[in-house]
Amino acid sequence: MKFTRDWLQNYVDLGELPPEQLADELTMVGLEVDSVTELYEKLSDLKTGRVLTVEPHPNADKLTLCTVSVGQETLQIICGAPNVREGLGVVVALPGTVLPGDFKIKKSKVRGVESQGMLCSERELGLSEEHHGIMELGEEIEPGLSFVEATGLKDIQIEVDLTPNRPDCASVIGVARETAGILRKKISVPFKNTELAANSSSFAVEVENPELCPRYAARLIQGITIGPSPWWLRKRLLSVGLRPINNVVDITNFVMLEYGQPLHAFDFDTLADKKIVVRTPRPEEKTFTTLDNVERTLDDDMLMICDGKEPVAVGGVMGGLYSEVTEKTVNVLLESACFNDVSIRKTARKLNLSTDASYRFERGVDPEGTIDAMERAVTLMVEIAGGTAEQGGIDVRVDHQPVVLSLRASRSAALLGVDLGIDELAELINSIEIGCQKQDEDTLRVVVPSFRVDLEREADLIEEIARLYGFNRIPITLPGVDLSFPEQDEERIKRNQASLIMTDAGFSEAINYSFVSNTYDDALLLDDSDVRRRHVRLLNPLTEDQDVMRTTLLPGLLENIRRNLNYQQTSCYLFEIGKVFLPVDGELLPEEPLRIAGVLTGNRNGAHAPLHFKAEETDLSDAKGAVETLLSGMRLNDHKPEQQIGFTTTEPHSSEPYCEEGYGINVVSGSTAIGTLGKLKNDILLQLGIKRDVYYFDLDFSALVAIEPAPKTFSPLPVYPSVKRDIALVVPISVPAGDLIQTVFASGEKLVEHCELFDVYQGDKIGSGMKSVALSITFRSATRTLTEKNVEKAHAKVMKLLTDKYGGALREE
Amino acid sequence: MEQELEKLRSDASAELERVSSSSQLEEFRIKYLGRNGQLSGLMKQLGAAAKEDRPRLGKLANSVRGDLEQIFTQKSAALAQQKDSTERPDLSLPGRRRVKGSLHPVTQCMEEICEIFASMGFSISEGPDIELDYYNFEALNIPEHHPARDMHDTFYIGDSVLLRTHTSPMQARIMEDKQPPIRVIAPGKVYRCDSDITHTPMFQQVEGFLVDRNISFADLKGVLTVSLQKIFEKDLAVRFRPSFFPFTEPSAEVDIACVICSGDGCRVCKKTGWIEILGSGMIDPEVFKMVNYDPEVYSGFAFGLGVERIAMLKYGIDDIRLYYENDLRFLSQF
Repeated sequence: MKFTRDWLQNYVDLGELPPEQLADELTMVGLEVDSVTELYEKLSDLKTGRVLTVEPHPNADKLTLCTVSVGQETLQIICGAPNVREGLGVVVALPGTVLPGDFKIKKSKVRGVESQGMLCSERELGLSEEHHGIMELGEEIEPGLSFVEATGLKDIQIEVDLTPNRPDCASVIGVARETAGILRKKISVPFKNTELAANSSSFAVEVENPELCPRYAARLIQGITIGPSPWWLRKRLLSVGLRPINNVVDITNFVMLEYGQPLHAFDFDTLADKKIVVRTPRPEEKTFTTLDNVERTLDDDMLMICDGKEPVAVGGVMGGLYSEVTEKTVNVLLESACFNDVSIRKTARKLNLSTDASYRFERGVDPEGTIDAMERAVTLMVEIAGGTAEQGGIDVRVDHQPVVLSLRASRSAALLGVDLGIDELAELINSIEIGCQKQDEDTLRVVVPSFRVDLEREADLIEEIARLYGFNRIPITLPGVDLSFPEQDEERIKRNQASLIMTDAGFSEAINYSFVSNTYDDALLLDDSDVRRRHVRLLNPLTEDQDVMRTTLLPGLLENIRRNLNYQQTSCYLFEIGKVFLPVDGELLPEEPLRIAGVLTGNRNGAHAPLHFKAEETDLSDAKGAVETLLSGMRLNDHKPEQQIGFTTTEPHSSEPYCEEGYGINVVSGSTAIGTLGKLKNDILLQLGIKRDVYYFDLDFSALVAIEPAPKTFSPLPVYPSVKRDIALVVPISVPAGDLIQTVFASGEKLVEHCELFDVYQGDKIGSGMKSVALSITFRSATRTLTEKNVEKAHAKVMKLLTDKYGGALREE
Repeated sequence: MEQELEKLRSDASAELERVSSSSQLEEFRIKYLGRNGQLSGLMKQLGAAAKEDRPRLGKLANSVRGDLEQIFTQKSAALAQQKDSTERPDLSLPGRRRVKGSLHPVTQCMEEICEIFASMGFSISEGPDIELDYYNFEALNIPEHHPARDMHDTFYIGDSVLLRTHTSPMQARIMEDKQPPIRVIAPGKVYRCDSDITHTPMFQQVEGFLVDRNISFADLKGVLTVSLQKIFEKDLAVRFRPSFFPFTEPSAEVDIACVICSGDGCRVCKKTGWIEILGSGMIDPEVFKMVNYDPEVYSGFAFGLGVERIAMLKYGIDDIRLYYENDLRFLSQF
């Protein structure tokens, strides 16, 4: 909502109040000021002038040579405008003046004759598109004055960002009322509480749907002359960024801005049967052309303003093309009405048409302000467009009962934390023209004025009290709440724990949008039957590449890899913990399990480690190690057998379609798959613009949260020393080396404390098809120091088991 | 004998002068002071000297040993000090650091905020990102066709399902199954179909609310003032400004004194000296009625903060879009 200081001043005496302070005060009562702008600052160098003489230019047919008085001085100015004439008041740009569009005026010679300035058109001043001639200021204007001051253009524009509950302030009078409340002054308005004189007989109004149109009033003005509006009116519209059109339309716009009541002017002679019918469309009325010349499709429940035959306007939204006021209009039927807010909103939505009128009706227009605004407009039309207003008019309405509320001082004190006393409450309420009476020592009886459609309950009045008293004058206290232990969210705690484990392991946390492009399903080669192809879909995505909710975290992370590699990162380890969204049949809401995924590429030692670490390419073990680190950090690697977490590469857990053959590992808990890790297929990466090997892991984090971590219980530290034995076993290449460790642990030999794999070797020294696997086994007893003999015996047992099982031979180191 | 001892002293002294490395020093030690060194050799001959000369010669020999050992120790210390620089670590070299990642700045900021409220006894609860229209709007006193829906550029999934536009649905969800007193914050992702230099279509909020008997607007001011001062780690000025949210009454926007210019006026605060930081208010009686709380008995306040915006102000980030590009050059700064 825009207005100017000068305009506001018409209704409330602002005194010497500086505009910045006014803006600040309005903001602090809830009318948030967006901007305070000095209007037409760029035109401040322009002067008023009067044309003294006009002679033809000696060397050009279409130019004239004028002498123009600019006060003390008289200048010679060449002008090409057809309307330049002696005695005319004009706008003069003197040399040095810069016009809008950075056009600098210089003294110059035009066809051999000097011109000492320029006479300006409205378009050159940026005031309108008018460029047929120079702007006319009238003959009475005094020359030599500042143009913007002499014409009243100089003003301060203030824009308020209105909240939806304050339609009453979508009017200059509404803002004036708030301002008067701040200044503790009274407002004066041109028409207040007027009634319509008598019923007109020259036209009829029927309202078929009073629930959608509680009030419809109209008056007829005959014999008007359509033409440009007077300067004061055009200036007002210009000052708030509205384009003047003609006197009748300008008046309806002006009064709407002044009162907040949208008005519509019909060309009366286009209305069939001299009749207005307010109704929903008939079945055959499918489309309607609005005055912006767009054919619109009608809905059954849109409220239309019709004449005796057909619709002539979309009620409260926009007029029709064929009943619009034109240059030829002589008789005007002026509508001032009140429409149902929800109905207007639905209509505006469906037509995708938001207008100044629909904005106000959607939020609520004063049902008792209908006639005031209409009378104001009729008076102006008669004054400006020279018509005759018919005595009286028509006002079809349903009764409006004022809202009466009780306001308890005790309730206000309890809710606001400041006890103001009933008299101060009354004074605050009265300051914005809300009437009230003391009902008892604690209660005010408040009659809500019709323009405050937002005040429906005591709580609304207490808000008025708070904002008028001043939020910042209310004391600051801390609530006296009983001490209680805040409940903890287990999943959240574990998420934070996992995040820290991952950052310690060298991964940076990424957060990606929850929506992705569904093209990733194909890019990741997901099977047609893959559940991840079933997405929650957005009905109104911002862009096509954000049209479905993600079912895996990988697309976002891969996009992050691509971006980082493009920006020359040589190492990129990222992880994300986030929700995926899986539709559930028969349920409105999907499941939202958390997943944790990571991507790894480039140098495992980081981007900046040239001195102490060699550049080493990331491989599968990094991905597996990351998962192991996570699991052990969360204490999930050592617990109940049925939840035992392990890695498997065999059926029934199939590998991911985007994982390179032979490079995929399934992570299982007991017999349940909880995720995968591996190497992404190169052709997928290439398609995504990534030219490096990328490894990944992707686990069901909600499943990890559900697994109970190993309890923290103490085992006594060993008292007796351990003995370490290293062995190397030559086995066929096909034997998974990791299985050897399992076998050692499974041997049942009690003295085995630990077993580690420390080397896997393939090469000339070993037979082809074979590899050497080196293990280090630690033996210890809890009850005694082991003798050489004890160790030998245990070691021999383990060795036999290994050689029996894998058919391997011992390799002597 | 006496001359031999004196010669040994002067020879050894002269030779020690020329020693310039620890290996030479070791050779010197073996040659003169070792078990089979020259001094020991001479001392063994003492037994063969005349009986009356022995005490004098013995004394001399000891004095020679003492002198040599003293200058040897001095030399040894000197050498240690000027030890060849290649044998010593270059202390200017950077240390050996393991790679460490970092938490996303929004996570860091979010956790700080949660911690502050948790320390005031608020419990933390998260809800679904995909939400029913009922919880996102209707239970919050925003019926269909309410103009306030314009303030939420909503992503729709279906007629009654949407991406939550704020974390406020958690108010209704929690109050539905708990009785006051309630003190909860609800952090999480929210979505609006809006994308430009100051908006991303997904962002994170922390909703908070407190319901009990006798909770007032003054309490709201207290809790939020304290929290904001903790979040920004300074005693900044906080102001409350009337606003409108359908689920609170009165509603307040909360501004803080601009953390960039301290209130003098700059680009970030649009020369006003104030920065809008959160929306809040006393929970509307209609919201209480939806969850069957008696508004005459209970009152409470609610607030919602935008985490990205707070992180921008705390860390001086100037473009919100940086958050979700996950560029390591950005992430590694926090």
